[in-house]
Amino acid sequence: MAKIVAVTSCPTGIAHTYMAAEALEMAAKEMRVDIKVETQGSVGVRNEITVEDLRQAQAVILACDTKVSEDRFKGLPIVRASVKDAISNPKSLISEALNMVKLESEKPEKTERKDYVDQVFEAKKQKSSNLTGAYKHLMTGVSYMIPFVVAGGLLIAISFAFGINAFKEEGSFAAALMDIGSGNAFFLMVPILAGFIAFSIADRPGLVPGMVGGLLANKLGAGFLGGILAGFAAGYLVAWLKKVIKLPKTMEGLMPVLILPVISTFIIGLGMIYVVGKPVAAINTAISQWLTGMSDSSALVLGIVLGLMMSFDMGGPINKAAYTFAVSTLATGQPSMVMAAVMAAGMTPPLGLALATFMAKDKFTPDEREAGKAAIFLGMSFITEGAIPFAAADPFRVIPSIMVGSAVTSALSMLFKCTLAVPHGGIFVLPIPNAVGNLLLYLISIVAGTIVTAFMVSALKTKKEVVAVAQ
Amino acid sequence: MDVRTLFSPSRMSFDLQGQTKESILDELIELLYNDGKLTDKERFKKAVLKREEEFSTGIGMGIAIPHGKDSSVTEPCVTFGLSKKGVDFASMDNQPAYLFFLISVPESADNTHLDLLSFISRKLIHEEVRNKLLNAKSYEDVVSAFEEK
Repeated sequence: MAKIVAVTSCPTGIAHTYMAAEALEMAAKEMRVDIKVETQGSVGVRNEITVEDLRQAQAVILACDTKVSEDRFKGLPIVRASVKDAISNPKSLISEALNMVKLESEKPEKTERKDYVDQVFEAKKQKSSNLTGAYKHLMTGVSYMIPFVVAGGLLIAISFAFGINAFKEEGSFAAALMDIGSGNAFFLMVPILAGFIAFSIADRPGLVPGMVGGLLANKLGAGFLGGILAGFAAGYLVAWLKKVIKLPKTMEGLMPVLILPVISTFIIGLGMIYVVGKPVAAINTAISQWLTGMSDSSALVLGIVLGLMMSFDMGGPINKAAYTFAVSTLATGQPSMVMAAVMAAGMTPPLGLALATFMAKDKFTPDEREAGKAAIFLGMSFITEGAIPFAAADPFRVIPSIMVGSAVTSALSMLFKCTLAVPHGGIFVLPIPNAVGNLLLYLISIVAGTIVTAFMVSALKTKKEVVAVAQ
Repeated sequence: MDVRTLFSPSRMSFDLQGQTKESILDELIELLYNDGKLTDKERFKKAVLKREEEFSTGIGMGIAIPHGKDSSVTEPCVTFGLSKKGVDFASMDNQPAYLFFLISVPESADNTHLDLLSFISRKLIHEEVRNKLLNAKSYEDVVSAFEEK
């Protein structure tokens, strides 16, 4: 029995795609032809043509009114038609295909198809890998957030270039840059992340509770992890409200502008303040007390703990606690080993991830590879936030990697007895006389953690395509 | 699969009055709007007519499946209409259309609904399903035409 593969696809992908498929399948049955029809509609690809199908196939019917990639059918005779033809006259399309099979078999040499089929199929799989579910929503949020991180971070870095304390002088250019970058672009980062996660889930009505929830996460010190939580909660809440709230017809128009935003923002806002805010504040206090208690333990242990904390939630309560603790050690006016360790640990996450985007290009999206270039500067400037887009997109692989890298750096810095006399500034402080004690060993610590993070991320992350297909 | 979730007795007419493609569409859209599944009639009609411009959704065999994907739609569903006299819908076979399925889909619809819609579209290709629909007199008749094997 002859075997034919077919693809149907129409502009809206709601009705004709499937009618054409059904018509072809019915006609084939009648004509005793083996056919497999792949539909490319608004639900995506259904009944996908497999490599095995392609190996057996003798001809292809493309009943498509949209652009459909023909790469994978290379070497096979193709009948091209519209979906209309397939619905009104499926039999003639099949006859045409059978005719072509006959002509093909009379040709003398067979083209080398088999290997090629595998190749194009692999390539195609990579392209069409659809992101699904929660992962897709997360990626939407992250992709909107990346430009904010890059723009804000680089402006802050430029401000540091005028001198690490230049921004403290009111009215100066450096102060303006710091305000734009840190006070505003970074300020929007978590709200944008949360807002667009919710937007991806629930469309426009999700944006308000998402952004407000993200903003609250910022203010309450819950950081980007709190923002992700707010975004998902807001999105799914709005989606659920859409389903359960039934209004009389005359009032339906109020749903997207009044009812959904008000109710969802009310719930998410209160949730953030009372459910998320309180524990976060409690965590903050508990950790600071715990760290103060640890001051006397060994330098190595303290270094490891601070390193892990710095990169666990970048800007969240744990990170803040470690940083605040380090700054408090400066209060005595002496260069501090703890401060040195903490700053180094905050530099390696963006640096390590940037290095990873060069080492394992295929494991990052194009967006992430661009963000990787900016992350080099952010890392060098001790702007740990440069790592957030990567961590938000793939928290379970990225966060452990940057934590280990930071811990290595921080521990080494402590062991080498490096010291730092200022609370921030990244590489801009290194040339300042007496700012850093044991400069060379300090740099070695930072490089070591960077490399550890880069290797660990590269090892843990799977290739982009494989991840998506597996879901 | 439960096709019942896509239909509703309040979105069915067994005696459409329209004589033209446009008046039939207006009647169906009115049903849809009155059932609260649409926020903006004009907007949705535009989306449907735009789709018709590509080529008529009169697929022949007495059936037309006008459809639109637009943000004015609140949930994916089907509005059913039967015209006793038949209407020229510029169908592929140049014959009048009797059965109308107005399919409305919001900008983002979940896959369960879209799969159900594709299931209905597939069923319409079968002659025995069409014959049952042509003789349908109630919501039950329509739904059961799709449910039988």
